[in-house]
Amino acid sequence: MNSSLPNRIWKWFEHTRVGRSIFRVGLPQSNLERAQAMVSSFLLHIQPAKVNRHSLRASYSLGLGLISLYLFLILIVTGVLLMFYYVPSTDHAYNNMKDLQFVVSAGLLMRNMHRWAAHLMVIFVLLHMCRVFYTGGYKRPREFNWVLGIGLFLLTLGLSFTGYLLPWDQLAFWAITVGTNIAAYLPYIGPRLKYLMLGGNVVGQEALIRFYALHVIVLPAVAGFLIAVHLWRVRKDGGLSRPDEPGDVIQQVEVSQLPTSKTYGLMELARGTTPQVGKNPEDEVFAWPHLVFRELLLFLFVVVVVLLLAIFRNAPLEELANPIHPPNPAKAPWYFLGLQELVSYSAFWGGVVVPGVLVIALVLLPYLDRKRRGVGRWFARERVVANTIFTVCLVIAVVLTIIGTLFRGPNWSWQEPWKKPPAATEGH
Amino acid sequence: MDHSTISKDVSRRGFFQLTLGWLAAAFAVCASTVGAVRFLVPNVLFEPSLLFKAGKPEDYPDGSVTFLEDERVFLVRQGNTFRCLSAICTHLGCTVNRTGQGYDCPCHGSIFDDQGTVKSGPAPRSLTWFSVALSKDHRLLVDKSKQVNPDKYLVL
Repeated sequence: MNSSLPNRIWKWFEHTRVGRSIFRVGLPQSNLERAQAMVSSFLLHIQPAKVNRHSLRASYSLGLGLISLYLFLILIVTGVLLMFYYVPSTDHAYNNMKDLQFVVSAGLLMRNMHRWAAHLMVIFVLLHMCRVFYTGGYKRPREFNWVLGIGLFLLTLGLSFTGYLLPWDQLAFWAITVGTNIAAYLPYIGPRLKYLMLGGNVVGQEALIRFYALHVIVLPAVAGFLIAVHLWRVRKDGGLSRPDEPGDVIQQVEVSQLPTSKTYGLMELARGTTPQVGKNPEDEVFAWPHLVFRELLLFLFVVVVVLLLAIFRNAPLEELANPIHPPNPAKAPWYFLGLQELVSYSAFWGGVVVPGVLVIALVLLPYLDRKRRGVGRWFARERVVANTIFTVCLVIAVVLTIIGTLFRGPNWSWQEPWKKPPAATEGH
Repeated sequence: MDHSTISKDVSRRGFFQLTLGWLAAAFAVCASTVGAVRFLVPNVLFEPSLLFKAGKPEDYPDGSVTFLEDERVFLVRQGNTFRCLSAICTHLGCTVNRTGQGYDCPCHGSIFDDQGTVKSGPAPRSLTWFSVALSKDHRLLVDKSKQVNPDKYLVL
């Protein structure tokens, strides 16, 4: 142990009465204390005292789920700060944006961080889903956690979409007009759903307050709850997927039958259904410090990246929303542009059927693909068929998104991004 | 009929109590869900009236197509006939632009001819024509809640 000044102050503090009352276990010195540190801390106890070496490999998980979680936390903090200035009214919202940009200290930075973290979260939740797919992580016993993950992906899109309207600029207004009209194509319930979402027939004050309520409380609360369940299930389903894990991770274990081979049996003191975290104690290391410090490091890294993005790139803000003049072309948020590209062929097929079928297929996937082979390895040869299908769908989605984002000019006509766009047809 | 085997598990009184209890619980859940959804459906809309006056007929020159920004409609005059065409694309609700021969939607590239009929693009229906009448004070009266066929004119 080094004995720098902060370290000595900490050592002194954790042995005072107050220090002991807060931290039951100080900085761990022995393996027993390392286990106790995890179990006795509210923030750490959701994680096991010991983790499998395989789960710590950055080349396996790439830390994508954790990055998504950290982005969510950054969004909560910056979002709450933005709420102190934002008024969800068509008269004030746009001016609030301008205030944040030019008047409020660090207002622009907070808004930029919120915007870039939101975009990154969409990307990283999607990448996380790809990682879990390509490593077969959705298979038994993790089927339901995959389904929860799909729910969280949709919630991420919903959060992003509802937040998109709040600046009340042209970008916001027309993206939401287009988006809610896509929903109106749903058979039977479509028009009612649109009316309910907008609180009327057009995007106006009623729609703004509804999207605001969804964005700042309803969806974050649901997402926060699902994230908690998702993380809890990771633990209960036996940690991250691994190649060598037994077929059935979940077993009914009597306390008397618990393996005694472990150096510390602390975490086996659970009754009833409990995961066998790992078969072999040699495969495991203590979560403190191996897991905890990796997590802290990753958190720092994510914060730095979001900060750098926010410092060097400003979040877009167009003119004040104008219901009369749609920008040409009017585009949805980029992650819906693949959908908008499909919608430009047919609103019903592209906007309702294709995404609907995709979501249902993703939800049913773990219950349809039941073979337990090739789990815990990237691109396992046994999973070549599933991986190929997934990759084809993914590539199509990415290509459509790129076309919608870069290759569509005025009137949604084909437009190579490296060529100058022709003058947009204006005037009526 | 042998009732004894049933009564061994659940008595008649127990059965009714159970049924009543579950029904009450189901009713409470359904009623509060329906109530919550109904709460969210607005009864009064603070939106502009669908009925509006579009000025005097003489304001529109013969053969003109005039875009009325606030109402998002085109007022079409040919000779002494008046018609009113919605500028809202039937695809996803963008405002269409007037071009030489018809109307173009900037969002997804639907193209309509001068009768509002879809020529190409994803729009599922023609642009809507609204009823035009003349008010007592000699003003054009457009009712956006009344849709009419494209061959219906107000003749003055």
